[in-house]
This record gives sequence, C-alpha cells and structure tokens, in this order.
Amino acid sequence: MIIQKNEYLPEYYNIENVKWETPDIYTINIKTKNPGHSGQFFMLSVPGTGEAAISVASGNGRDLSFTIRKIGSVTGKIYSSQKIGVRGPYGKGWPWKDYDHIVAVAGGIGVPPIRSLLEELMDAGRNRDVSIIYGARTPSDLVYKDRFEEWSRCVDLTITVDRGDEKWGGNTGFVTEFIGRKNFSKDTAIFIIGPPLMMKNSVAEAIKSGIREENIFLSLERRMECGIGVCGHCNVGEYYVCEDGPIFRYTDVKDKPELFL
Amino acid sequence: MAKLFKSISEEYDTYGTISEQGEIVFGQVRGFKDIVDGRSKYAPKEFLISRNENILYLPKIEKKAVFGIRSCDLKGFYIMDRQIYGKDPFYTARRDNTLFINFVCREPCEGGFCSSFGGPVLEEYQIQVIPDGGKYLVMVSEEFEKYMKDFKVVENNEIEKFRKDFDNKMEKLPVEGIENRIKWNSKLWKEYASICISCGACNFSCPTCYCFDLYDREDERLREWDSCILAGFTSSSAGNNRPELDERLRQRFYHKYVYYKKSKDVYLCTGCNRCTEDCPVDIDIKEVITHDYSKE
Repeated sequence: MIIQKNEYLPEYYNIENVKWETPDIYTINIKTKNPGHSGQFFMLSVPGTGEAAISVASGNGRDLSFTIRKIGSVTGKIYSSQKIGVRGPYGKGWPWKDYDHIVAVAGGIGVPPIRSLLEELMDAGRNRDVSIIYGARTPSDLVYKDRFEEWSRCVDLTITVDRGDEKWGGNTGFVTEFIGRKNFSKDTAIFIIGPPLMMKNSVAEAIKSGIREENIFLSLERRMECGIGVCGHCNVGEYYVCEDGPIFRYTDVKDKPELFL
Repeated sequence: MAKLFKSISEEYDTYGTISEQGEIVFGQVRGFKDIVDGRSKYAPKEFLISRNENILYLPKIEKKAVFGIRSCDLKGFYIMDRQIYGKDPFYTARRDNTLFINFVCREPCEGGFCSSFGGPVLEEYQIQVIPDGGKYLVMVSEEFEKYMKDFKVVENNEIEKFRKDFDNKMEKLPVEGIENRIKWNSKLWKEYASICISCGACNFSCPTCYCFDLYDREDERLREWDSCILAGFTSSSAGNNRPELDERLRQRFYHKYVYYKKSKDVYLCTGCNRCTEDCPVDIDIKEVITHDYSKE
C-alpha cells in the first residue's frame, strides 16, 4: 500500500516580473528556490487553460525562472497571468558533476537549460574548463543579452548568429562551425540542445572533433502532459522522455527511430 | 461462494458482472446470485482509471471488491502496474483499495489468445476462481487467506490438469521473440493505415492501454482516456514525431510487443482479443504476431 500526495496538484505562485527577451520570448521569475537541477523541467499551468512542460532556466537553489516562447494557448497566457501553477521538477538533468571539461551548445530557444547549467557551474566555482556556444538565427533572436558580459567573465563564451545585421559586430555562422574550432581533451563532455537538425550536425561535429560518443548528451523534446511517466504522450521506443530524459546520453538514443534518427 | 461473497462484502462495496439490456457489464451487486458468469462487453479499466475525472481533486477512495473480472482483463492491471503504480496517485489509491476476484474461463472464447500470454490461470492474482460445474476452485494470495479459513484445501493438481486441458483447446501463438522478429518497415503498417479510420476503439477496449489526455475546463483539470492512433497524440510546439497513421499504428504494436518488453520485461497485451473484436475494419492484432516478417 502506497500513500501518495496528489502529484498532479500544482502549487500556485505569483509571477514576480516578466522580461521580454525578444518580441515573442519572455522570462518570468518566481519567488521560490529551484529544488531541481539544470536540464529538468516543470509543468506550468494557467487555470482554465492548461499545462505546459517548460525547462527550468535558473540553477539549483536560485529563484525559479523560466524563459518561454509565446507559441501555444498556455505559453500565450503565462506572461499576463498574476498567478501560475507550478509542479516539478521532473526528468533527468545534465550530468555535469561527472565531467571535468564541459562544452555546452545551445541553438535558438534551447538556451534556458544552458543558462541554468551555467549558473550551477558558476555557483560550484567551476569557471575554468567550461565552454558555452550559443547560436540564434539573428541578433534580435538572442535571449539573455544582458547576461553575456557576466558569463564571458566566468567561462569561455561564444555567441553566434546565422545572419548578422548592420549593427552586429560579433560572430556569424552556425554553432557547429565553432565546435570544430575548439580543442577538446578526450574526456570532455558535450551537452547539446536545440532544433533537431542543429543537434544532429552538432553531434557529427563533436565526434569529428574527437569527443567520445558516450560523452555526448542531448536534450530531447516531445509532447508531455503528466510529466511523471504515466500519460504516454512522450513514449518513444522503450523510453518515456519525461522520466528517462529529457537529457539522454547519445549512445542510448542514436540508433532509435523517432528519438534521434 | 455465497459465504465468501458475504464475508468480503462486510469490508468492501461489492461489484460484479451483471446483465443489462442484453450486455454483460459491471455494476453494484448485493449477493453472489446476482453475478452473471461471462465476460463483460468492455474491459473494466474504469475501476482504476476513470474515463473522465478532475485530477486536481483526489477523492476518498472506497474499498471495492470486483467479482467476475476475467483473467485477461485483470492481467491488464498487473501489466500496467509496472509503468504507473506508485506514480499516478489515483490509480495507485484505487489499486490498493480494490480486491479483484477473477473468474477463469473454462472454455476458450472466440478469437481469444490469452494462453499465449500466460492465461487464463494467472500467476498473479488476489482471489482467483475457476468455476467447475456447481463448485468452485479458489486460489487465494496470502493477503486474502483470512477469507478462506472455513474452506477445504485441495491438492493443486486439479489446477494443473485444468491448465493442460485448456492449452489443448486454445492454439498458442508464436509470441516469444516477436520483439526481435517484427520489422520497422513492414508492409503491414501501411496496409492497416489504408483501412484504419482512426476511431481509437482498440485503445479504449484494451485492458492494458492506460494513456490519457489532460485538459482544463474552467477550474477543473480533466483526465480523459486518450488514443495513440489519433493524429494529435504527439503533436507539440516542436512538431509531431508521428504525423502519419501508419507510424501511429506501428507505435501501438511496438509499444505492446517491443518497447514494453524491453523496459518492463513483459508484453503489453493479455491476448483478450478485444481490439480485434471492436475494430470496425477488422484489423487483427494476431497477425502482427503471426506475420512472417522474414519474407519481407
């Protein structure tokens, strides 16, 4: 006999502030500490509208923060809600504690789990041997612009855009080009998150650069409703992405159709 | 059995198979004589997974005893336990408070293939009953032995004999190793997709399908049975990883015969044949098992 609390019941919090990162991407802060870890996600809800699975953007022990693209019914309402429901954390996070050298690669809206990763690494005093490569389509698609300066003081930070504009003085090119330019030690781990094609190309580039396949980790995104491995929507192969992922070791998914192929 | 029923009814609300408008369904029963011996039209999943309920409110769960559930339907719960027991609080609370008294079929049903999945005499049960003319062979798990104090204990070779006789009457399908034989690009999936009308009846009638959808209605968050055959099942802001019907049909069969075997060491199927019976276009799940993939 198991006595359980109702895992589906969220806790309700006020949204402290909404910061628009781009015309359709915003960051919210909530006044409660993140009990989870970078790479994990929470179910956020707007009563009467529904729930959405959102990766946590702040590191363990910091105030909860989420960066969200306005794309569906729930994400289109969170920023204008006073209170939202929060339950989690769910899933597996980045295994950064297992590796001395880490390269994290983020494409587009995949960057929040890299921000929380970076915060955890900085809080743990892991400044050296950490590289971040973050790419977006254009300069106006970049989020967390106001944090780049602080980050670049702590870690080896590369920001790149596919196409610059007249004001852009930084890097242009896909993240994959910058993976190839780094020198990696054999036990470097690479964490990759972004659109499927960007992840595929990044994996290929990482392998070419000498990173071992078992040191490649990916964050995969699938439809999730319950977050606890019950509702079945995120089932792919023998995995439930919500509980066996969303962070997967590349060697566990590389041959699996519908997961990575 | 009347005596056993009575002592159980002192602790549990009693439910059983009854006849209603010519169909066998589950309903509340007052005495053992009210129970009809036969398989219910629908798998009684609703005892543990509500068709529609507000998940923001976990109600007090009543203790229920369910008489007459068939072995194939009960086995469904033992199989889905491995994925959802201890995680879904509603399922877990109901599972803990429901006593299933399964009735073993004496004769194979038309189309059924439970013996291929370890039926009809189950290894896991609470109270298992084999009707035998006017008497009953009753198997009881340790937890419920208290109800059997006044009954005679017989040698279990009668049950072995029953098993053997049953196996002679029901053909066994070549289930073993299906997870290795089945083919990702088999022509079956496109063949099925060309006739399937995406009604989801196979999911709803299946005693092992547990997937559900969540949606808000005013201040309620509702759970509703869902179907992996429906086009929107996997659609998300990141796209849809199974936009085609043949991909969704393949997912259903792969979940049953490949993925669940790999992750939970059991097939997600009890051989009840309900999906085939209820399929309006006659897709027969047995073909997925018996098909010769090596010739493709």
